[in-house]
Amino acid sequence: MDKNTAVYICTGCSIGDALDIEQLKENGTEDFTISYCKDHPFLCGSEGLDLLNKDIEAEGINTIIIAACSQRVNYDVFNFGPDKIVERVNLREQVAWSQPPKEEDTQMLAEDNLRMGCSKAKDTELPEPFQAEEAYSKDILVVGGGVAGMTAALDTAKAGYQAVIVEKEDRLGGFLAKMKKNVTLPYKELSDTGVEELINSVEEDSRIKVFTSSTVEKVSGAPGLFSVDITSNGDAANERVGAVIQATGWVPYDANKLEHLGYGQFKDVITNVEMEEMAAAGKIVRPSDGKEVKNALFIQCAGSRDSDHLPYCSSVCCLVSLKQATYLKEQNPEALSYVLYKDVRTVGQAEDFYRKAQEDGNVFIRGSVSAVGESGGMLYVEADDELLGEKVKIEELDLVVLAVGMVPRSRPEEVPRVKAPEDEKDADEDGMIEVEQDSGFFANSALNLEYRQGPELPTLQYGFPDSHYICFPYETRRTGIYAAGCVRKPMEIARAKDDATGAAMKAIQCTEATAIGMAVHPRAGDMSYPEFNMQRCTQCKRCTEECPFGAINEDEKANPLPNPTRCRRCSICMGSCPERIISFKNYSVSMIGNMLKAIHVPEEDEEKPRVIALVCENDAYPALDMAGIKRMTWSPYIRFIPVRCLGSINLIWVADALSRGIDGLLLMGCRHGDDYQCHFMKGSELANTRLDKVSETLDRLALESDRVQFVEIGITDYDKIPGIIGEFMEKIEEVGPNPYKGW
Amino acid sequence: MGSYDPSFAKEVFENVDFGDEIKMCMQCGVCAASCPLSLQMDHSPRQIFTLIRAGKREEVLGSQAIMLCTSCYTCEVRCPRKIPVIDVMHGLANYALKHDFVPRKDTANFGGKFWDQIYRIGRIDEKDLSRRYFFAEGIIEGIKGLLGFSDIGLRLFLHKRIKPLPERKIKGIISLRKMLDKAEKMRGRGGASV
Repeated sequence: MDKNTAVYICTGCSIGDALDIEQLKENGTEDFTISYCKDHPFLCGSEGLDLLNKDIEAEGINTIIIAACSQRVNYDVFNFGPDKIVERVNLREQVAWSQPPKEEDTQMLAEDNLRMGCSKAKDTELPEPFQAEEAYSKDILVVGGGVAGMTAALDTAKAGYQAVIVEKEDRLGGFLAKMKKNVTLPYKELSDTGVEELINSVEEDSRIKVFTSSTVEKVSGAPGLFSVDITSNGDAANERVGAVIQATGWVPYDANKLEHLGYGQFKDVITNVEMEEMAAAGKIVRPSDGKEVKNALFIQCAGSRDSDHLPYCSSVCCLVSLKQATYLKEQNPEALSYVLYKDVRTVGQAEDFYRKAQEDGNVFIRGSVSAVGESGGMLYVEADDELLGEKVKIEELDLVVLAVGMVPRSRPEEVPRVKAPEDEKDADEDGMIEVEQDSGFFANSALNLEYRQGPELPTLQYGFPDSHYICFPYETRRTGIYAAGCVRKPMEIARAKDDATGAAMKAIQCTEATAIGMAVHPRAGDMSYPEFNMQRCTQCKRCTEECPFGAINEDEKANPLPNPTRCRRCSICMGSCPERIISFKNYSVSMIGNMLKAIHVPEEDEEKPRVIALVCENDAYPALDMAGIKRMTWSPYIRFIPVRCLGSINLIWVADALSRGIDGLLLMGCRHGDDYQCHFMKGSELANTRLDKVSETLDRLALESDRVQFVEIGITDYDKIPGIIGEFMEKIEEVGPNPYKGW
Repeated sequence: MGSYDPSFAKEVFENVDFGDEIKMCMQCGVCAASCPLSLQMDHSPRQIFTLIRAGKREEVLGSQAIMLCTSCYTCEVRCPRKIPVIDVMHGLANYALKHDFVPRKDTANFGGKFWDQIYRIGRIDEKDLSRRYFFAEGIIEGIKGLLGFSDIGLRLFLHKRIKPLPERKIKGIISLRKMLDKAEKMRGRGGASV
């Protein structure tokens, strides 16, 4: 497109008081082809917008540079349609509000910002949405026909979309069908499970196709274009779907590992799952002699919250034990249940059911088991009673129930082994090696994805699929594939239903967005997608390895095979590519490189250092804005460049900047590690790893490695920003000016 | 090692006024933290409840804590499970006295004298009440007791908190006694009557 570019400077919000606008207009735009440059005291008001709209109409302006407030605000106001390029230059939060007015340094900062904006606008092209050659499907595949799976399919159907359920058992229902009763909203008493009604409504719905006794053999393709091979009762079937929901549920923790609690040793020590099945079958009796149970003891956290077994809390076992104690009370009003607990965790309104169980007269003992034994045909339990402060013995027990926790079905029993690369040192004699956690290979078979990075959703340490827990809990590390129900995290029925609804809505959103070439979260609405200049590819495989979403497959010759609809537009591939062949229409290596070059670097004798901060636009950039809103101040020598993710930082930028005389680079990104906050899961971690390698580049340039630093900033850390910048500037001062200045 | 014995809990639930409210206790300890007297108590209210569950009959009914409650209502206002802790404590005190547990004889004695005086004149006469209270154990004990409090007594007198003349009966004393008799018959609530 032929660009007709105009610059509009807003002088409101004290921008006009802080800067010499005429000088800014002249100096900020002189290096660029700009049709004209105007200022207005209230650009986002109706008069300002009138001016803008009239100019667009009359002058044929199609590229608009708005030098005003942060790009994080008023993005809806300064939206002139999909055929216009809008570039925002931050003169408010990061200049007028955080720097002293009418100072030379403040003016230079504003001019640099405007130059960078002009440079970016020059390199930006209008994105053309990706359109696949094949037709898109908007159907949803649901793997697992339990309560979460059925609810997801029903909600998909209710929203007017087609759903396909694949269930491995011969009938739908999952664990819900094995239960006697359920405790759910409003958590006052037992209620029917409602599983038959649920199954009937699924089976009667013409928009839901059900495969029972079936497994998913292979899922190939990408969101909107998935092709699913299903084996159903030995026959093969194929379905084309747009998105996938994995609701494969859970398995109880293996009680055979709980010998210290008497499981396997005494017949009358059973798990809560066995108790539920016995209750559903009829009467609750002692397995040893078939006599009716009068006194029972529930051991909570059996193998849970225990570093040797399951380190986490399954959040449902307390409620289950309270429910089963109620079964006993209903069977025999004289029955007495003891509950030996660490903490009674009845989440949310389920506390009401705890009250009911207390009213029923069940005895709650807080403490830990020291021994389970048998005397005279009856069981006894010895425990340390924390509240009494002494050891106690509970005798004459008919039954001991172990409340075991939930293990996601995705978690493998043992660490899976795969064929090792040829030169691998740790491989065993068969050439096999343990797979790494946090990869698509570390999970039980459910989806069999045809993805280079492994056949399943990458899991976290306990075997739950990785999601962005804080911000996007349904999301997984595979675009268009959503986890719901107990495979995602342990939860009870009511929550599993909510979870399924959420996942179904997400899946529908994904199919709709994909069909028009739009990105899903967290860059929802982004129409760009990565383009590969394949002629220059060296088959180094970094992009295929490093994409956190497994978007890039590989052909036999190790060429990357991008799947644009799997892409979340984080640009991590762009940062990974040593040949710099990956770019977006509105974001590329050369674009940021040119922005770096647009910054004017003063001569050494002016004693004005220049530092560039590459700032993650998801968390660090809003934190910076927040610091500006709070009128915090910092060095005027630092220039901020927002990036999609720190993972998109290509090391060439570091070399480019330093070789031009920039004194230092600060990388501001999200926290990484186990409690990562990176919107793209791996971006900030990768940036940090790559930065370790930057010292080589610096050595080549004979520069100090202190000049480049990575800092983790959360969205709430705005108050730390002046301190972080201050410290870095001090360090740069110590290191001294960059010797490449003026080259 | 103590054995859990549910029979005492059952006894309390069935026989003690408000005893079945104890079932609802979740041992959060807010009552113990709120109680201005918990430092003087051998067992905090929370501990009393857990001892009942564990079946420690002697320890509970012999506890001085149940006699020390001053009905300030802080615990009751704060209890997240809305247990009427005051009523339970008084219920337990009553029940203990009925079963010949006298963990704090003087407290029981004071309560008795207090009640008697209300019944007799319908109000409290501090001089008379303290005389009766201190001399209940004999003349020598009485003099010792009075001397121990002479300081406070003098100051109360100087601040006109104790009148020199004996208090008179209230006007409607007959009606009050009828009410108290009826209450005694109903025995619904606690109160330190012996």
